[in-house]
Amino acid sequence: MHELSIATGIVEVAVEEGERHGGRVEVVHLKLGALSGVVREALEFSWDLACQETPLAGARLEIEAAAGSELQVTALEIADGNP
Amino acid sequence: MTPRLVEVRKNVLKKNDELAHTLRLRFAEAGVYVVSLVSSPGAGKTTLLERLLRDLGRRSRVAALVGDLATENDAVRLARSGAPVRQITTGTVCHLEAQMVATALEGWNLAELDYLFIENVGNLVCPSSYDLGENLRLVALSVTEGEDKPLKYPSIFHTSDVAVVTKWDLSSAVDFDWQAARGNIVAVRPGMPIVRLSAKTGEGVEELLSLMLICGSHKPA
Repeated sequence: MHELSIATGIVEVAVEEGERHGGRVEVVHLKLGALSGVVREALEFSWDLACQETPLAGARLEIEAAAGSELQVTALEIADGNP
Repeated sequence: MTPRLVEVRKNVLKKNDELAHTLRLRFAEAGVYVVSLVSSPGAGKTTLLERLLRDLGRRSRVAALVGDLATENDAVRLARSGAPVRQITTGTVCHLEAQMVATALEGWNLAELDYLFIENVGNLVCPSSYDLGENLRLVALSVTEGEDKPLKYPSIFHTSDVAVVTKWDLSSAVDFDWQAARGNIVAVRPGMPIVRLSAKTGEGVEELLSLMLICGSHKPA
């Protein structure tokens, strides 16, 4: 059960990329492979906790299932303007 | 306003992967061959490691890092072999990460070693995601656990290079089905070398030591 640390890793990547692109991250798209060793439900459960007190608070996680060992943030949906 | 979609394509474990890569280069430069051990708790990783440190330690310079959530028990046990040993206690973390290995190695002169063993936390799930910079990953499955472990926990077998069936001296006592176990391992990782080993009698130890050197999937760059 290391999904919380995985969720924290996703938040870190998204915060870094969000700052680079400017604006508020609303949705994080993640590709999650069956062989990644990460359980989708546990990751979803950890998501809100990992986002708390970060610029990502309130953001949504969209998971796309894959067959391999993928664990990759594929895209972000960013809203412009003031949060 | 509709949010804009930006492509990212960043691996979540990028930080760990980068650090593991740095470690791998450091190991190669120092000329130390690094083997990590993974298994469920109680499969016999520490007993296997005691044996490897003792037997290999007669002809090579060996050392070990050993991960657990708490206690220094394993480090104390392994230190009896005479090899340098350090315990990594992870607190509540269920696996080792490259950063923990880097920290544990502080102050060690790697150039004085031929082999470094890293015993991961006993867990068949989480360690599979984390590269530690090792040259070879050994997965241990004990005869008392049941033949279908590889099917139940495919990712750890899939990311390992060599499988060791431990406690082989107990195989007949527990009616261990070797053909079924072997079939399950190669179903998950076709072509994976498998060694039947008893740390108690020494059977399979030499076979494992020679396999270790030819099966590393991460040869030093």
